Parts: sequence; structure tokens; C-alpha cells
Amino acid sequence: MRNAWAALLSRTLCVSLALSGWGCGDRTESLEEIPALPPVAESERFGGTAVVGGAADVATVNPAATTGHLAAELQKHVLLMTLLRHDSTMQAEPYLAESWELNQDSTQVVFHLRRDVRWHDGVSTTARDVAFTFERLKEPRTAFPNREWFDQWEGAEVLDPYTIRFVLRPHAGFLYGWTQLPIMPAHLLGDVGPEELGRDPFGTEAPVGNGPFRFVERLPGDRWVFEANEGFPNGLGGRPYLDRLVYKAVPDEATLFAELRTGSVHMLRDLPPSQIERIEADPDLAVLTFPIRSYTFIVWNGQRPVFRDAAVRRALTMAIDRPSLVGAVRNGLGRVANGPIGPWHWAYEAELAPLAYDPEGAAALLDSLGWTDSDGDGVRDRAGNELSFELSTNDRQVNQDISVIVQSQLRAIGVEATPSTRESGALAAALTSPERRFDAVVLAWDPDFEVDDRPLFACSHLGEIFQFASYCNRELDPVLDSIPMVRDRPTRLRLYRKYNRIVQGDQPFTFLYFTTDAVGVRRELQGLVLDARGEFTSVRDWWVHPDYRAANGSP
Amino acid sequence: MGAIPLLWGILTLLFLLLHLAPGDPTTAFFNPNVSPEVIEQMRRNFGLDRPLYEQYVRWLGSFLSGDFGYSFSQFRPVTAVLADALPNTLLLGGVSLGLIFIIGCAVGIVQAIRQYSVLDHSLTFLALFIYSMPGFWLGLMLILIVSSNAVPDGARLPISGMQSLDYDAMGLWGRLADRGRHLVLPTIALGVASAAAVARYMRGSMLEVIGQDYIRTARAKGLTERRVVLVHALRNAMIPVVSLLGLFLPILFGGAVVIEVVFSWPGMGRLMHDAILARDYPVVLAGSFLFAALVIAGNLVADLLYAVVDPRIRYE
Repeated sequence: MRNAWAALLSRTLCVSLALSGWGCGDRTESLEEIPALPPVAESERFGGTAVVGGAADVATVNPAATTGHLAAELQKHVLLMTLLRHDSTMQAEPYLAESWELNQDSTQVVFHLRRDVRWHDGVSTTARDVAFTFERLKEPRTAFPNREWFDQWEGAEVLDPYTIRFVLRPHAGFLYGWTQLPIMPAHLLGDVGPEELGRDPFGTEAPVGNGPFRFVERLPGDRWVFEANEGFPNGLGGRPYLDRLVYKAVPDEATLFAELRTGSVHMLRDLPPSQIERIEADPDLAVLTFPIRSYTFIVWNGQRPVFRDAAVRRALTMAIDRPSLVGAVRNGLGRVANGPIGPWHWAYEAELAPLAYDPEGAAALLDSLGWTDSDGDGVRDRAGNELSFELSTNDRQVNQDISVIVQSQLRAIGVEATPSTRESGALAAALTSPERRFDAVVLAWDPDFEVDDRPLFACSHLGEIFQFASYCNRELDPVLDSIPMVRDRPTRLRLYRKYNRIVQGDQPFTFLYFTTDAVGVRRELQGLVLDARGEFTSVRDWWVHPDYRAANGSP
Repeated sequence: MGAIPLLWGILTLLFLLLHLAPGDPTTAFFNPNVSPEVIEQMRRNFGLDRPLYEQYVRWLGSFLSGDFGYSFSQFRPVTAVLADALPNTLLLGGVSLGLIFIIGCAVGIVQAIRQYSVLDHSLTFLALFIYSMPGFWLGLMLILIVSSNAVPDGARLPISGMQSLDYDAMGLWGRLADRGRHLVLPTIALGVASAAAVARYMRGSMLEVIGQDYIRTARAKGLTERRVVLVHALRNAMIPVVSLLGLFLPILFGGAVVIEVVFSWPGMGRLMHDAILARDYPVVLAGSFLFAALVIAGNLVADLLYAVVDPRIRYE
């Protein structure tokens, strides 16, 4: 009962806040911590199986073939290792490399690798593996999805088995790629041609890694099973607490929830916001939330005469009640977006208020621009053109909900948006075609950890595939160009702020909200750290409370 | 033999539809963090940069020689992908089909010999009730019931996948029992509506046969009622029901798509569903070929069964 009242209260609070223009923000603070269980000695944490459940299967754990979130997490945190990794403030810290040196003019980096890391088949991980991975990534025929991370990097030179030197052009966040790129075993893949690397059985049937967990088996469409790597270096914490880690693909929402409730699954990824209340009502379960990189936005096609005027785009943004939109479509799991840099990012500008919801202001602005309802049909027009357009989106339910809400809110100020659902392949084709065959589209995506938005908004990228908005502001280009080049954070921060301000004024996109992600967890799963780095960041330290191990049928 | 041009026609049409539909397998990488050159290279690696007729000729050539190509979304040979999924679907479909006919026929017979009894009326009501229930909904209800607090932990039937986590540590009997337990709910959800339909057909057909003169003769000879019904009447009453077998196969495969998603059963239905969304052309084409071949084979089996139940039909 207490939970139900709390939920009701927080919803009421949400509504009143929304009315005052502030919205409910993200729910992170209001959620309960995992209920405490009897404490156990550290030595008793060892053992047990943790099962993570999610809707999608992972087709491959080969870094050369996939950019999927989950696959990347399994690569970086579970099976393989990266040279460096992000700490909780998104700064690089040592992982496979124990240290690095940058020369005077930032054109050379030397990495010193740990000497105690072995592949799961017993072979040492050396600089040769790093050089191999780097060379395959740079080779165009591999079609390595994230090749851009290393655009500024050139040659690799193995100085000794545990030392490697790279040549690069100086740029900001230059260590970033090394926090993301899992190193692959040269002794197993060295003979595989670049075109074949992506579909080598390595990623689908017999992955050999060097991370805290080793591969046991995979049942396609069903599960991945990993077990503790006894040889994981003590300097990095030693073997994981868990004996086994299982990822289970359960595509149906209701089935997955039932699995969590009955204890067959310990953590439910990508929790649908509508299930929050049900999970909070169960004393064995908890909801954990964390901001992720994803944001949702509406792109206005700047080639359409209606959307060419920044003032019109601003009016449209002002007419959309984003706080209540987040409440309606995400059950509060999100924060109204004030631009492209989200709360997970160190440069997030919490003080910058998003354009306020102001339908009267929006109407007055449109009036002043000459968009009035001269023919009395309820839709504004100017010189014979109606302020009427198609608002497309893909078949994701949340995007469809958004377009319907936006439609009704725009209708209130005399703007006609007609929602239409397109199949995602068709939508991508329409967006990227040179003719930009769309009016406005509701979309969501994840920026990279190192935000470089030139492909989206730079004049120099007009006509290229991701400049959907066909937006050009000469003042913005130098800012976007310098962001990836400037190394010190204070200067970068100023640039990011300038970027925010310009985009706030021009509204090439209407930024709707930053997504807060949620997982449902059983109380016996302990040691979780959840943030923008992902769900598996602390997987080495996960443990299942011993009192619960037998009940889960895990040996 | 008429089946071969039919199969070729179906596959060619499908090939064209798939390739002419907007989007391609690289849509999954649609993201400003992946550069257009990389996408171009991926398309080259998949062979998608070639003109359509060339892709078609290549595909048909390798298809005829038994090479189904590589899956774009699974990163494995299509043969391996299908070899994983097909047996799972056949197991689920086969067990369901068996149960549909055993339960359906048994219920139909009981209803026919107890016509207009309370039992007959209540079974008719039940059959109609079940028949009008969508399989996925029934599946979700079963999951709700099984995972409710009323069921003790030890007695819960599994609701997803086809084996437990400790399956590999089990002995042969343990494995069989484990697989059987995983089959219970999906089989019920997949088959129960069709079983109800079979029961309706069986009842009608049995009633018709029981009224015939030769049945009266059999009874007059002094045969037991059991022998009259199960030997003399059943064989003739089965003729129309057997033709249902061919009809049910496509329904079963269609239903499997939904049931496999609900119960997380790693079979063909789910595979095809995901492959279509991912524009995984080779898997969609090879999978459709398999489905079509299975349906044709199912109809062939039904034809052969006619000969078993109907002595007037003989295949030379």
C-alpha cells in the first residue's frame, strides 16, 4: 500500500510541477535502493549464477561485425578487454594497458601493457594483439563499424611484447577509442582475411577472450553462457565473484517480467517504463535508473520552405508540452532536453533551461511571421501555403505515441501535423536520400561518448547523409570544427555551451527528451554499478546473495 | 513435380520483393557514428553493390547448388542458422500436431457416441470456447497462471526457452524430462485451438458414419461396441479428418511465429520474424523455401494417409 501511495503522490507532484513548466525530471532520486539483505563476508560472495534477461538476442560478440549496445557491453566488460576504460567521470583509466605516455607535441603515444593478462586458451595477451586489432580496424575492407574512432591515428609499432607506440594527429579525447575497442586475439584471427573477419566463427561459435568471463556455450536465439575466468589478473580484482553469467533472450515483455518475478532472471534490461509500478510493488524487486546517451528529437526538413525559418521551428518547439510528454510516453523516465548534450556528459549544462512550453507565445510568434488562419479552416496559412505537414516515424510504439501527442498539441495552435508510420528501412532511405523525402520525423539515437556533431549540423556536411535538417549556420561551423580538436576541458566547455546556445536559438531539431534507462533487478543480485557506460561495467563485482542461490536452481 | 516451378516462382517473387523494398541489411548501422564509407564497404562485402539481375543470377546459382549463403544478421552460414532453428520448430510443431489429432479425435469420438448428452454439450461448449481463443493470448494467460504466487516454486513449469540452465549436467532421462517440461506450455498454446477444431470435425464425421448400415451390421454380428466404434467406424470417420492434416501445417507454422516469441522458443518462426526485420535476405529466402517445402511434404503425407484409411484409394 505504501508503495501505491508513494506512486500516486509522486504522480500528483509530477503533474503540478509540469503545470509550472518544470516537469518531473528523471525519477532517479525518488526510487528505492535495493532492500538490504543480511550481510555476508567477502569470501562468501563467490559462487552462484546471475541471469540477465533482455528482449534481443546477441548475434555475435565480434567487434568487427556489430555496434549493438549489448554486444559491445559483452565485449568490453565480460569477454574481452579494452586497453583503457572509462571511470565513473568518463575519464580514461588503465585496464589492459597499465600506463601510457604522450610525447611533447601529442603526436605519439606509447602504451605499456599488463604482463599478467592471458587469453582464455592460455596464450599471453601482447602488443601484437593490439597492433593486429588496430590494423584490421584501419583496413577499409574489414568495414569495421567504428573505424571513425581512429581517424586521427596512423601507424602502430610494437616496441617489445608489452609496449606499443602509435602515431597520431593531435586531437581532443584522443584516448577515447581505446576505451571502446576490444582487443582481439592475433594468434587465432591473424590468418583471417579482412572481408571474412566479421563473419568468422570466432564471434558466433567459439569466442576466446581475455576478460573476467570466458565463453561456455551459446544457444542461438536463446542464451549466452559465460563462466568465471580463474586467471583474471589479481591486479584488476582477480576472478569474478560469480561462477556463471548468463544472458537470456526473451522477446516477449510479459514473459520476461514473469521470469524476473519467479527468479529465473535476476536483471531485466531495457525495462519498459509501463512496468515500473508493478516492479516497485514487489518486495523482491527494485527498479534502478540511470541516464544513458540516447535522446529523442524531431527533425525538421530545412529544404521545405515552411521549416526554413528558425522562428517557425522555435514556435513549434514552444507549442509542444515536453514535460508532460516525458510523463506520458516514458512514465517519467527521461529529462526534457535542452540541446544535444545529455546529463550523462561532463559538459551537460543543467542551468540552461529548455525553451518553455508556451502555446500562446508560439501562436503570437506565428502570427507575427504572417502565418494566420486567413481562410478559417483551423490551419494557419501564408500566401496560399498551409502550415501543414506529415510527421513520420518508425514502427516503435513510443515514437508513434509521441507523434500523436505532438499532433494534438500543434493542432491547438493551428498547425496540422499528420502522423504517419513508416517501416524503419523505408524511413532511413527517405531521410538519407539527397531529396530528403520527408517533412518532419520523430527519431531517437545515441551520440558517441565523444560528441562530434558535424555530420548533423555543419554546413560543410550539407548534402551528406546525416544532415537531414539541411541546416546551416556559418557561426556554428567553427565551433563544431574546434570541439574535436581542443584538448582542455574548460575551453571545450565554452565551445559546448556556445553550440547549445546556437542550436537552442535555431532549433534545427526539436530536442524532446534525454532518455533515462531502467533495469528491474532482484534484490539478491548485488554489486551493480549502472551509468552511461552500461549495465555490465561492474560485472566482475556482481554477486548473488548466498541465501538465494539454491532457490534459483543454480548449482 | 509441379511443385518445383511453384517453388521457383515463390522464391523469385520473394527475392524481388525483398530487394525492391526500401532499406537493406546495413540499416542496422544507421547512425551518425558509423561513416558512410564503412556502410558502402559493408554493402560491397555482402555483394549488395552489384546490379539486381547479377545478384539474382548469383543467388539462384548458389541456391541450386545447395549453398544458401551467409546470414547478414547472424554472421554465420545460413545452413548452420537453419540447422539450429528448424529442429526446434519441428519438435514443437510435431508434438503439437500429434496432440491435436490424439486429443481432437478422442474428444470427437466421445462426443459422437454420447450425442446430446450433458457431456457432449459441455464438450461442445468447451471446444468453441477454446477455438475462439487466440493462441498468443492463451499463452500469456498460461504464463500468468504458472508464475502466480499460488504455484509453489518447485512445481512451476518453465515459460521460456527449451532447456534449463543446468541441462548439460543432467543425465539422459533428466534431459528428456527437462525438454518435456519446457514443451508443455508452448504445445498447449499452439495446439489447443486446432485440437478443438479437429474435435468438431471428428464428431460430425463420426456421427455420419455411425448412422450407416454397415455399422448396424457390425453391431448385429454381436461385436462389442468398443470394437464397432474404434475399428469399423473410426477408419471411415478419419477420412475427412486426415485431409485436415495438410491444412493444419501452414496454420501451425504461422502460429509458431507468435508462440515462439511468447515462449522464447528458438525456432524458425522467430528466426524468420527477426530476419525479415533485419533484411537478412539469404535467411528469409532459404527459410521460405524450407517452409514451402515442408507444407508440400505435409500435403504429400496427407495424401499417403488417405490410402491408409480409405481402401478405395490405391497409389500405383
